[in-house]
Amino acid sequence: MTRCRPPFPWLLLRFWFMRILPVWSLIALLMFLMQLAVCGIVHDNQGVKTLLGLIEVLPSIVKTALGGDGLQAGNLPGLIAIGHNHPFVLSLFLIFAVGVPTVLLPAEVQRGTMELILSRWATKTQIYICAALMTTAGMASLAMVVFLGTVTGTNIYDFGEPIPLYSFFQLAVNGGLCAAAFGAVALLSAASFRRTGTAVSVAVAFIVANYFAAILSMWWPRIRWLRSLTLFNYTNGRKIFGMHEWPVSDMLVLGAIILVVALAGGLIWRRRDLPL
Amino acid sequence: MITALEVRSLTKWYGSTRAVDGVSFAIEPGEVFGYLGPNGSGKTTTIRCLMGLLRPTGGDCRILGETIRHGLATQHPEIGYLPGDFRIWPNLRAERALSILARLGNDGEKVSVRRKELAERLGLDLDRPVGDLSKGNRQKVGVAFAFQHRPRVLILDEPTIGLDPLVRQTVLDLIREAAGDGAAVLLSSHDLAEVAAVCGRAAIIRKGRLAELAPISSIVQQGRRRLKVWLAAGTQVPALPGDLKPVARIVGTETAVMEIAYQGAADPLLKWLARFPVERIATPETSLEEAFMQYYSNDEGDKA
Repeated sequence: MTRCRPPFPWLLLRFWFMRILPVWSLIALLMFLMQLAVCGIVHDNQGVKTLLGLIEVLPSIVKTALGGDGLQAGNLPGLIAIGHNHPFVLSLFLIFAVGVPTVLLPAEVQRGTMELILSRWATKTQIYICAALMTTAGMASLAMVVFLGTVTGTNIYDFGEPIPLYSFFQLAVNGGLCAAAFGAVALLSAASFRRTGTAVSVAVAFIVANYFAAILSMWWPRIRWLRSLTLFNYTNGRKIFGMHEWPVSDMLVLGAIILVVALAGGLIWRRRDLPL
Repeated sequence: MITALEVRSLTKWYGSTRAVDGVSFAIEPGEVFGYLGPNGSGKTTTIRCLMGLLRPTGGDCRILGETIRHGLATQHPEIGYLPGDFRIWPNLRAERALSILARLGNDGEKVSVRRKELAERLGLDLDRPVGDLSKGNRQKVGVAFAFQHRPRVLILDEPTIGLDPLVRQTVLDLIREAAGDGAAVLLSSHDLAEVAAVCGRAAIIRKGRLAELAPISSIVQQGRRRLKVWLAAGTQVPALPGDLKPVARIVGTETAVMEIAYQGAADPLLKWLARFPVERIATPETSLEEAFMQYYSNDEGDKA
């Protein structure tokens, strides 16, 4: 008897979603609270002064990492955006980006459970798509949680002037795509390497190298060109807040990167023999 | 009738290492087929190629008439698979883990009755987290995983490892029942008694190549036969003459008693024994284990 093509394994997607949900919820909660905290500090003039005073004391590269020239007393969006690109928030993104594909692919292989999953009616490609959906959708939704935190924060606290929430939404969508692109790279790494440790190391190295290249290029004008080599080049808050337009070209580039990288990961995963 | 499982000239290389080389065999519905070989001989590689988990370098595998394609889950709903090293999510209850895997095969809840029946027969508590179970009980979960959806093809890699003799017997009964219901069973095992108990035919694989493919009874007959010879009291056990050494070997001696393993005809051996005061001769039954030892050992019986 010849069976038709296996149906999409929604059950596996749901099973993996339930496994990831606690970690996603914790990370989302921390990011949300971070936005509230930033809004709580920034809405108060005295708080802004204290924050800027503190930032001035820090090394200039740290100031660059937190927002650079946008960190001025009168620039409320720039100050609120600290919550978006704070190293703590980015670290949380990093944990999710690297952790999820690693837990779903190489760790499942090493645990021996991938052999059981593959022995049922699900193709390798379908399993990869489940991991890809969990990673990229998870990353993008975290970016939306950050936006939700900003919305909530700006509704809780009175800033005395309108906050351009639509620009923050544009930033969140653009940032979400950027985050999903990092997730796709981590997914590619997870699909390519035999060992979980190698997959994690390569993904972390890529993300950290991108982050520091972006910061250093903003901090040191002579290596400004370096930013164009990073994925962060395609998330430009200044452009969004300055022009109030969708960064269409940046989003298209990020979308293409996600597609190409995720497809490459899928091909590698599909073709290689898993170390079961 | 469609051949249930077919392996044709299967070859698999890992880099420069040959794991399986030109292996071919077929299993009919209702047949229990033993797949035997020492560690590292290529049994698990063959099984993983059959499951589409590995991409063969050459040859192909067919299950229920359909060619297995790597990673495409070909005929998987019809296959009950038990890997050699069965591991499952430790934090899930056995019932939940098995239910998830059953539903992944599109079997839904219809297998839950069968699962409970299997658990009862195996003495398995499905409500405990798998991580809290002993090694033997985890293996029972594996057995339930393979049998719960009443597959038409069973691929079992060491199914009774770690099980006590009673449960082992239950698993062998399950295999017999499945075969009785028309399922084809590929049984890879090191337990030769178990293979002899349930398998009609067996293949012996050695260094990636088939060393033998025959009915169990035929494999046993091809093994070294034995003679146990009681000499008259006080007679010293003689040494074998040079012309008999290629076909015979003294494998055990006591006072005036010797046990001789031999291949081929018994005639030259009996003519040699006729020179001594023989009181009694017995022919102990050759065990399957002894037959397999020939294929396993490096210096003897290499028929590949």
